Amino acid sequence: MLFPPDFLTRLEYLSIISKRVFRGSLLAQRRTMQRGSGIEFSDHREYSPGDDFRYLDWNIFARHGDLLLKRFQEEQDLHVTLLLDCSKSMAYRNAEKFDLARHLVAALSYIALADLDRVSILAFADGVTREFPLTRGKARILAIMKFLEELDVQGTDTELSKAIQGVLHRSRKSGMAIVVSDLFDRNGFQSALDQLRYRHFDLHILQLHHPLEADPDLLGDVELEDIEIGQQRKVTITEKALRNYKKLFNEHQEAVRQYCFNHGYGCTQSPSTVPFDELILTMMRAVGAGK
Amino acid sequence: MSFASPLAFYFLLLTIPVIVLYILKVRLRREPVSTNMFWSQIYDEKPPRSIWRYLKHLLSLLLQLLFLLLLVAAIADPYFLWQLKQSRRVVLVVDNSASMQAMEKDGNSRFDLAIEKGLDLVEGLRERDEMAIIVAEARPRVAIGMSGHAPTLRRTLQALQVSDQPTTVTPAVDLGRQLIGEHPHGEVVVLTDGCLPGSTFETVETPPTKSPGSEAPETNDSETTPDRETTLRNRYLVVGSPQSNVGITQLQLRRSLVDPTGYEVLVKVLNASDRPVDCRLELELNGSPVDVLPLELEPNEEWTRSLEKTSVEGGELTAMLTQIKASDVEEESTSVSTDDARTPKTLNGLKIDDRAWAILPPKKIQKVLIVTSGNLFLQKVFEANPLVDVTLMNHFPDPWPRDSLIVLHGEVPETLPEGDLFVIDPATDCDLWSIGPVLENPIVTELNAESRLMTHVRLDNVLVPKAEKIDFHTEATPLASTISGDLIYARLTNGAGRLLVLNVDLEESDLAFRTTFPIMVTNALGWYAGQTGDLNLALRTGEITNVSFERDQLKGNELKLFGPDGSIQEIPLLDAKQENSDSNRPIAEEGSSPSAGNDRESNSVTLGPFARAGVWKLEVDPQNPLAEYAVNLSNAEESDLRPAEELGSQEPLQSLAGFFTRPLWFYLALAASLLFLIEWFLYQRRIIA
Repeated sequence: MLFPPDFLTRLEYLSIISKRVFRGSLLAQRRTMQRGSGIEFSDHREYSPGDDFRYLDWNIFARHGDLLLKRFQEEQDLHVTLLLDCSKSMAYRNAEKFDLARHLVAALSYIALADLDRVSILAFADGVTREFPLTRGKARILAIMKFLEELDVQGTDTELSKAIQGVLHRSRKSGMAIVVSDLFDRNGFQSALDQLRYRHFDLHILQLHHPLEADPDLLGDVELEDIEIGQQRKVTITEKALRNYKKLFNEHQEAVRQYCFNHGYGCTQSPSTVPFDELILTMMRAVGAGK
Repeated sequence: MSFASPLAFYFLLLTIPVIVLYILKVRLRREPVSTNMFWSQIYDEKPPRSIWRYLKHLLSLLLQLLFLLLLVAAIADPYFLWQLKQSRRVVLVVDNSASMQAMEKDGNSRFDLAIEKGLDLVEGLRERDEMAIIVAEARPRVAIGMSGHAPTLRRTLQALQVSDQPTTVTPAVDLGRQLIGEHPHGEVVVLTDGCLPGSTFETVETPPTKSPGSEAPETNDSETTPDRETTLRNRYLVVGSPQSNVGITQLQLRRSLVDPTGYEVLVKVLNASDRPVDCRLELELNGSPVDVLPLELEPNEEWTRSLEKTSVEGGELTAMLTQIKASDVEEESTSVSTDDARTPKTLNGLKIDDRAWAILPPKKIQKVLIVTSGNLFLQKVFEANPLVDVTLMNHFPDPWPRDSLIVLHGEVPETLPEGDLFVIDPATDCDLWSIGPVLENPIVTELNAESRLMTHVRLDNVLVPKAEKIDFHTEATPLASTISGDLIYARLTNGAGRLLVLNVDLEESDLAFRTTFPIMVTNALGWYAGQTGDLNLALRTGEITNVSFERDQLKGNELKLFGPDGSIQEIPLLDAKQENSDSNRPIAEEGSSPSAGNDRESNSVTLGPFARAGVWKLEVDPQNPLAEYAVNLSNAEESDLRPAEELGSQEPLQSLAGFFTRPLWFYLALAASLLFLIEWFLYQRRIIA
């Protein structure tokens, strides 16, 4: 059973915590950055011919004689898109990563739904494999959990770009995107994530890894088999090779962190042994500190 | 190069399973990973199909095969021909005599130093060299025969013990030469302190004895060993430094021939140093002081003295040297420091000769029954002996006492009683003789000087007016007789007892007034008591001796010999058949304890050689010792701790071996071990797999 009986209780607890401590900092009650016909004043700009006279600030014109146009922040529902990696690499060693990822997706969905945001989930591997359409209302969490429970690892590769293209095709409206993946994309993750950046998505990355991926217990002559693409490779793993592997792995992790830091995205990296609720809290703290 | 065990090369067949297992090992275990992209980056930098990649695997196989090859070669035990040609046979003669007990200034005894030097020689043995070890005891003993196994030689050397026996190097060297035989590179090495009799040394190189028709080991002319190397060399390695010593070189006891309770002590003390020495000689009998003699000994002086003492009880006499000091040094000291290396450092370097023992047998009280009509001279001559309990009777007792010497004067019964009898001037016939006509003025002309009954007895000027001719019915041994052959004094056998007949009328003759009469009676009493004037001589260490005993003295089938060091040796008594079948058994057995051979028919046991100084006891049961033996060093050569001058200039033995001291298999095994370690290290570091 993927979700234990007390899972919903723990989700509720997380939802309360997130409202009390991180109110307005993560998902709920966030405002879009688009300006429009809302009622909350945003700023002024100079009048240009053709503008609607109704938005002229007459008080300023009366005092200073300047024609300034009032701008208002448009209030919209926040669309939260959760991208869940369902490639076979997530099933490495008893699928610890995949289970944790699904727990995380369920938890984040619940928190978003509890704040009246809209949530959609895209499962991807070498493309979008399954989709949970945009939905709202806390009552939908059960459907989401059922959806997640039915998911399984599949595909022959990890292609994040195809998944993100799927997101962009499905919605022309930007929002928040949360990628839950190990980001073992041999084509690179940057170009894929750049597409979201171009569409002004607010992005958060939850990168998971198994402890043995960070520190393999391999030495000697072995035949390595890539469980995603099925490729086999006979190698002699020496101490030196092992050191090189760890170095490359850490560089990969660092690259993800650096990318998110450069573009102001949230990034949470964790081994698969950490409980999901603890990881959520860690993630919230990180985002809160960023704000 | 040859191999001692070429069959070991069959082990090379093990290469087949090694290669098979190696091939099987190449089938790698499969490990699933999340992604290959990191590993690809690593191994794409060094293409996996590079030459080194193949070599790494090949190197592993080669290392394993090389390891196997080295191991098999080690088992095959290879050797070079020159090792056979130049192998040596060394006989190590270890002097374990008493002088080797002398302590050196570094706290080690000379024997310890000799063993240490011997161990050095063992360490220096090369492969294919052989060594035998002979102990130069009283009888040379082969501790170990020719062997090239250094640990065994070391253990044998370390197990040797110093003894109290004198040195017998010459027969040990001869035995060593026999062990070497005709080997072209033989050498006898004598480890000694140099305190040997001068005639013992033979350091000249001598050719080995060749038996007729024997051939040299090498038949190839080009490989013939030079003549110089075919000689058999003797080398003396002297350990220890010259030391002074004062020791007792002789201690003997004997009962006095004239005083029944007296005894005489012969003692010799040697000052084996170049300085005058003062000391005290203390004599104790059973722990009680007997005499204390202050001695002033000149350099190299041997002091000799005969002392007369009295004791009825007898016992263990101990002579001790105490308070040894130099005469030219006022304060009492046993140690004198000097800068001269050749000058002795101590005045008493050896302790074993500071004490000597001797056994004084006890005198037994003899019961004598005199049956006479009355003769005061006869009565007094027996009563004058303090060891005699005299009973006087004028008639024949009934029954006759069995534990007394019966002296019959004049009248004799028709049938003589059993037991020891001394008949003087028999007047009547009996079952052993008949009285004949009277001999007028018989002159004693023949005396049996060989009989101890006649020791110090002179009868030629004794006036004998008349005697009666006696015709003995049994064989009589004449002790004194006239010119006509008539017996005046004779010895007979009386059944199980002994019988003496003195055919002299004490009333008519002046024999009773002569000093020879008490001597004659004392000799007779001693003869009846079974005592001799020689007594129990003290033995020297290394000697053997015989002990006779009565058959009824043995309650069991086993004798026990108790040594002074607490050792107990059981001496089984063999019956006549076993004795005959084992007639070639050597008297001296191996070991430090004396061995024994026995002759049950003659009721005698041969004991020895005695290895330790002190008092040895031969017992059937602890309450009743059969015999006691005092064993002393009593050897002037051993007490003199100054090595012979001719040995002082002996060159030390060259190191027997060079760098290559171990067998080839050892180095091969060492190389295999190193290879194993390297392979293990490389595997652990995954340099090879």
